[in-house]
Amino acid sequence: MRPRALTTFAALAGASVLTLAGCSGGPANAPAADVTAEAEFSGTLSILTKFAGDPLSPYFEDLAAEYERLHPGVKIELIQETDQSVKDKTKTLTASDALPDIYFTWTGNWAENFVRGGRAADLSKVIGPDTPWGRTFSKASLSAFAYDGRYYGIPLYNNGKFMGYNKAAFAKAGVKVPATFEELLSSCPTLRKAGYEPVAFGNKDGWPALHYLQQLFAYTVPEATLQADFRPGTAKLDHPGYVTALKQFKTLVDTCTDTGDGTNGVLYTSAQEAFSRGKAAMYYQEVLEFDNATAGRGLSPDDFGIFPLPVPEGAGGNPKAIEGAPEGYLVNARSPRAALAVDFMKFVTGSKNAEKLSSPPYGQPSTVIGAVTPKTSSKAVFEGIEMVNRAPQLASWLDMVTVPEVADAWLAGGEAVISGDTAPEKVLESVRQASASAK
Amino acid sequence: MVSRLGFLGVIARLFMWVFLLGLAVVVLYPLLWMALNGFKTNAELFGNPFALPVDWSFENYRKAWNRGVSNYLTTSVLVTVTSTIATVFVSAWAAYGLTRVNIPFSKAITSVILGGLMLAPTVALVPLVKMFQAMGLYNSFWALLILYTAFRVPFTTFLIRAYMLDLPREVDEAADVDGAGRWTAFWRIILPMCKPIITSTILLHVLFAWNEYLFAMVFTSGSGVQTLPVGLTSLMSKHGTDFPVVFAGMVIAAVPVVLLFFFGQRYIVKGLADGIGK
Amino acid sequence: MRTIFRRAPFQRALGLAWVIPALALVGVFVYLPLVQNFGFSTLKWDIYSGSQEYVGLENYRKLIGDPVFWSSFGNNLLYAVVSIAFQVFGALLLAALVESIRSERWRRGLRAVYFIPSAISLTVAGLLFYFVYEPNLGLLNHALDAVGLGRFGQSWLGQGDTAMLAIIAMSQWQGFGYSTLLFAVAIQRIPSEIYGAAAIDGTGPIRRFVHVTVPLVREMTGLMMMVTISGAFQVFNEVMVMTGGGPDNSTQVLGTWLYRSGFVRNNFGYAAAIATVLFVITLGVAMAQLWVTRRRRVEW
Repeated sequence: MRPRALTTFAALAGASVLTLAGCSGGPANAPAADVTAEAEFSGTLSILTKFAGDPLSPYFEDLAAEYERLHPGVKIELIQETDQSVKDKTKTLTASDALPDIYFTWTGNWAENFVRGGRAADLSKVIGPDTPWGRTFSKASLSAFAYDGRYYGIPLYNNGKFMGYNKAAFAKAGVKVPATFEELLSSCPTLRKAGYEPVAFGNKDGWPALHYLQQLFAYTVPEATLQADFRPGTAKLDHPGYVTALKQFKTLVDTCTDTGDGTNGVLYTSAQEAFSRGKAAMYYQEVLEFDNATAGRGLSPDDFGIFPLPVPEGAGGNPKAIEGAPEGYLVNARSPRAALAVDFMKFVTGSKNAEKLSSPPYGQPSTVIGAVTPKTSSKAVFEGIEMVNRAPQLASWLDMVTVPEVADAWLAGGEAVISGDTAPEKVLESVRQASASAK
Repeated sequence: MVSRLGFLGVIARLFMWVFLLGLAVVVLYPLLWMALNGFKTNAELFGNPFALPVDWSFENYRKAWNRGVSNYLTTSVLVTVTSTIATVFVSAWAAYGLTRVNIPFSKAITSVILGGLMLAPTVALVPLVKMFQAMGLYNSFWALLILYTAFRVPFTTFLIRAYMLDLPREVDEAADVDGAGRWTAFWRIILPMCKPIITSTILLHVLFAWNEYLFAMVFTSGSGVQTLPVGLTSLMSKHGTDFPVVFAGMVIAAVPVVLLFFFGQRYIVKGLADGIGK
Repeated sequence: MRTIFRRAPFQRALGLAWVIPALALVGVFVYLPLVQNFGFSTLKWDIYSGSQEYVGLENYRKLIGDPVFWSSFGNNLLYAVVSIAFQVFGALLLAALVESIRSERWRRGLRAVYFIPSAISLTVAGLLFYFVYEPNLGLLNHALDAVGLGRFGQSWLGQGDTAMLAIIAMSQWQGFGYSTLLFAVAIQRIPSEIYGAAAIDGTGPIRRFVHVTVPLVREMTGLMMMVTISGAFQVFNEVMVMTGGGPDNSTQVLGTWLYRSGFVRNNFGYAAAIATVLFVITLGVAMAQLWVTRRRRVEW
């Protein structure tokens, strides 16, 4: 290109800046969806799930096929994502105004954003606790998706985080289930001597660290303080329990994992794999992962046990708190097929399908009352969900309960603690800054 | 010759060859490792990475194919073929108009089109998302077709224009004497004469479209419209513990372009050299 | 012969039809978004509600105080510096070495082998190197072990001090063959008489490289430098695939920080502000290129 050409180009570009700089569009406001209307069984219903990959993907595939058989005019378009990819996907779809009719959601700020943005249909009239459909769910799971007394979410299953352990490995090393966090730490060298990686841990994606942290925060920081700190408007984030918990976490990583300060370079699936193949003695996991952990790669269901992350001595929070939250689905407030969407979700949460969801190989403990029993679910799933149901305090995922900017600061902070490049105090400071700027 | 180089010369040659061949190993070994891993089981993969696969079965390749790679491949082929055709024709037309036809504001138009070379796609990302959302083209095959064409027209026009500038003027005169219109002259005379550069631009565009990631990641979401690069990352996240299948998918994605390059190397080199050498 | 082209003004305007498709595509999808981007960068824009609020230069002010923005910028710079060393000067030297081989078959073979990584996508290369760097099953740590350097093995992508360099190293592996190929072409264009004359003078290969090859491929070198710098500031794909910017944002570059700010942190206005910075940088590089080329033209 010649220099002369460039000046012309610059002039052209400059001129158009002046005329067009101001243009921008507002959000399109479609009429609100009517969820109570009679469902019309025609058209394409799109659903964004979190069930991609083995062994979960067939669940919605089978259901969609069955529903299409029942209602020949309906076509179901599944967008199946994974726990990791659904985050970016949902946000991209939101930003592009292309959310499907039904989409997956976590509780906390994650769901609140869609409610606040007018993207989630108010389902109070169909799934409120006093409606026939609503009565089939546990009350707590419904209110997890309630905002200002209105019910938005269709809870699908409950979830909680537990330390899964290999009973054979514990027996071989002569280690008992630790009663305190300190005992957990001291059992690690013994397990290592017996030839196991004590705790398999992969934090490439950042959130696995937050699961440890949130559970430790719930142990060391009083609930009221914790709740206030989740919201940028009331957050102080100055309780000494935070720094204590960050330090405890760092000690755990250094003492109990083989990857130590390099843990950020390991995929969480590699860690899961190491545990399932019997190479690692423990792996901190969600109830949702239990059946997958024992799916025949070495670790048998009989050798698989769980316990809540042990409480550190002198912790000032709630020692009975368990990290966990139900997960569910929202109906797009601008969906022209909202009534059909509701009908499909009623089908998904019917007792037969709820039981199917709760049993192996899926092992996703349904929120539908009576779906999780020792008969339907595997032993570990039943045991875990019982503990979740009995817990006096549930702490929701740290990266979901806070606003996106703060969640992102926590993600970076967790990684920084692991690699040891940043002191816990500094990490907390950066989260405080993110929280202040998100006010 | 060797005697004239002397002892030091021989040593230098030796070092050079060790270096050049060593570099070739550094380039080829990871690729070979990738292909071999596609034949392994997970247990083998986590074992000795240098070992050869125990069982040379195409099971992982078959699995990868069935777990979406066949869809990604179809989409990639479709997007690549259509955007190549669109880009090359739009660019060839523009290059013809700018070099062989006397049009008004020719200089300004040249700078506007070629100026696009300087603009990074990342810069336009946010407005483009908004724009495609408004046009209802988000998450569609059209989004990728349009973007791949629009962002490659400047470069392709640049290469073809450079080539057309060198074609002798007599060609047009001859066409005019024959009474052929501009349209006929373009198709019958100029375009065939530009065959070498057209081949180069086709190959370069295929390389681009096949491998593009940013737009494909942001503008598509359903599995029906995802291209290979994005599909591979989702294969990785969906079957995260089944690494050999991911390797197999990577090989399937890499083989077509590597083959294409081997057969078209000459044209790529020549096209780039002709265009950039100016 | 110009007379043949002189038509009525209407006929002349009709000729615009040739360039309109290209102009329209580039105008609407390349230039218009660029212009809109300036507007967006003055907004506070919430993706959930779609609400937009004019905040003036607030996003730019925030940018200046954002440590991750500056470390991203630093990573892009590092990328540029390393890439210039390897993909410009390294590639030039390599091309000269390859071209000094007498056997045509070997020349062509080596050039082709070096180019293969450039043909495969950065996504494939990135995923592949994710596994090469992986601490448990990775090729690199095992290779270090095999040659007795096991103590240097580490979680390459998992630590702030090695992750960025590991990604850059992958990108050199992927890209050096492409620039080597271009330099090889430029060297081939040097008239053989010049080399012949140098040989008669008894000039050694090193002096020949410094005094003949380097000056004569100067234009290509300049061009490659600009392309490399501009490319270094547009890095996105490999970082996204290998680390996503982590750990602790240590591998964040402007492109990924833009994506993360907009799509993950729900701050599109801020993302647009980063885009503006990227635009200024790439435009600056392009201007520099034009300026340098023009000066050369005048000298010769």
